[in-house]
Amino acid sequence: MTAAISSRESILGRIRSAIQTPGMGLADAAVAYGALPRGYIQAGKLSREGTIALLIERLREYDAEVVECTPEELPAAIAAQLAASAKHTFVAPPGLPPSWLATGFDWKIDNDLDTAEIEKVDGVLTAATCAVADSGTIVLHHGPTEGRRVISLLPDWHLCILLASQVVETLPEYFDRVEQPPALATYISGPSATADIEMTRIKGVHGPRFLHVILVRDPDSPTQAPAMRPADTAPHKGR
Amino acid sequence: MTQSVADHPILDPRFAPPFPQAVLPVLRNPQLRKNVAHAIDVIQAKRGRLVAEKTDWQELRTAGSALRAHVLENLGTYLEQFESRCTAAGGHVHWAADAAEARQITLDLLRQHNASDVIKIKTMTSAEIQLNPFLEAQGVHAHETDLAEIILQLGEQEPSHIVVPALHINRSQVREIFARTMGLKNLSDDPKELTNAARRYLRQKFLTIPTAISGANYLIAETGGVGIVESEGNGRMCLTLPQTMITIAGIEKVLPRFQDLEIMLQVLARSATGERMNPYTSLWSGVTPGDGPQNFHVILLDNGRSEMLRRPVERQTLKCIRCAACMNTCPVYRQTGGHAYGSVYPGPIGAILTPQLMHMHHAQSLPYASSLCGACYEVCPVKINIPEVLLELRSQVVNQERRQVGRVFDLMYIGLRMANFLFTSAWRFHLAQRLGRIGARLVTRKDGWIHSLPSIGGKWTQTRDLRGLPDQTFHEWWAARAKEAK
Repeated sequence: MTAAISSRESILGRIRSAIQTPGMGLADAAVAYGALPRGYIQAGKLSREGTIALLIERLREYDAEVVECTPEELPAAIAAQLAASAKHTFVAPPGLPPSWLATGFDWKIDNDLDTAEIEKVDGVLTAATCAVADSGTIVLHHGPTEGRRVISLLPDWHLCILLASQVVETLPEYFDRVEQPPALATYISGPSATADIEMTRIKGVHGPRFLHVILVRDPDSPTQAPAMRPADTAPHKGR
Repeated sequence: MTQSVADHPILDPRFAPPFPQAVLPVLRNPQLRKNVAHAIDVIQAKRGRLVAEKTDWQELRTAGSALRAHVLENLGTYLEQFESRCTAAGGHVHWAADAAEARQITLDLLRQHNASDVIKIKTMTSAEIQLNPFLEAQGVHAHETDLAEIILQLGEQEPSHIVVPALHINRSQVREIFARTMGLKNLSDDPKELTNAARRYLRQKFLTIPTAISGANYLIAETGGVGIVESEGNGRMCLTLPQTMITIAGIEKVLPRFQDLEIMLQVLARSATGERMNPYTSLWSGVTPGDGPQNFHVILLDNGRSEMLRRPVERQTLKCIRCAACMNTCPVYRQTGGHAYGSVYPGPIGAILTPQLMHMHHAQSLPYASSLCGACYEVCPVKINIPEVLLELRSQVVNQERRQVGRVFDLMYIGLRMANFLFTSAWRFHLAQRLGRIGARLVTRKDGWIHSLPSIGGKWTQTRDLRGLPDQTFHEWWAARAKEAK
């Protein structure tokens, strides 16, 4: 390992001698960092309704199917989507409310299912952490209601439940809501796609080809929306 | 002979022919030029639309530029912070001074995990250190999983672009490659069918190969996290299913804080592929029990980068976020495609990055592969003043040549000394003009153009025609006009 150590020292030594600011530490960097220009748009200007309408428009541009419902209607709305999919076996993360797991379907709850089992299911049901209307992005922090990354990757069909209070207009608003950075995050903007052959956009290469979203009109105003604490959003991390 | 050069371009700057020579086979290949122009036109139109809708685009560029410059000014601090946070989160951080060391660390890690096969997310750093041929020679087969990279790997072709590396290959050529290598005789050239063929081809590899290699779009100092942006989901497969992940990242890739992604993610996809956001962005810190690879290694690659920090002009090169907007807008790249640059980094960014990665010992023709029109600077989401760097590198190339032994006998040097002697006296200048006019008559064709000059002048006319000299200079005409007026 001596070689690796010496490369570390030589690289850092070259960097330090090149920049000519010996003694610059994190504290000095933080001061300079605080003075960086951030003149871009932080908070959006749309109303709640406008923001939600924009998100729906963006998601539909990505060929995602979006339906809206009230919190009371949610279990029925989920059952309707599952039935319409003509699929039977679904995987779900362990933290979903039991009322979401509609009867009449074969549910695999992901308590460390192995990959081969997940590969066999038809679809997946998850919640989400946040959604950004401006880019039509769904944010997963892979907590107990969103599940491990693999369950929202292997199945071809993804039904995602989004609360209206989780929707923000701009990307900086999402980052503003994150109290502590998550250990894992996936930002999904439309189904998997490629344009590698003659720049022709083809939907569905490896990830789910079908994305369905149920937008729940929950009463929470955006200011009351819970901040995203790591305890809510990430599984316990070992060291 | 020319054909073989076009089929197998050399993307190793140490052996690649100089740009003006490497470009000739491309200029004679109409199919290649048509494929490149088509792809570029599509990306440019999409980018234009999406940048125009962003009312704060210039503010985002300003913020992105300042942030990247700040990172480089504090690079050592942020790298150490990244290292300690990543280690605390269960990752292992390695430092590689050059390409050979990065390759060796990768191989040692693969051997540690008994890997005979490895799946890869598209990574520029791995191409830069020429990892695949090295691993192959050591008995480890690297499987590319990005659609364009599969096309290139199966077709035994070289990349010509950093974001859409197979843009020089059209659908019927892809069909031919897949039909031949996957044994699919009845495959059509419909992009959807071709994409499905790749999906089926790779699915089993994702599910069975337990080791993966990636690059990194971002290293986040605050969290020790790594970020990868992609479209297809092959990245998520590689980041989720294997047990071991090796990430090879340039040392300049670091960002101070998680929140800085709000700038980078807003400019990257718009600049690269003309999308509001790429379909998938994955972020992870170290190892998460029960989710994804349980062995995680980051190799921090220097390979010439630390030398580029020394002076602010060249340092800008390291602000690059590899979006490829500069090559998409470049009038030179549009005509030549990527192979002529003789490097895995083509286009304007390649023209400044490649010679510097080679410590200015190779690829000295690349800083000249530009008209200095400035379009690259205008589109760059982190405001790298590429023309300024090009000019600086050109002057370094000239200084190198000047120091070479035998410069006194160099024709260019003698010519410039002579020009200096003639231009410093009006009398000598007028005489030279008169003599030059007589000389020019010998090489001017009937159409009034000079198509080739003798001796060193031939270098100029190799790629340009010159208008023949007029019978009268402006001074002579002015003097004659004044005489007539009297």
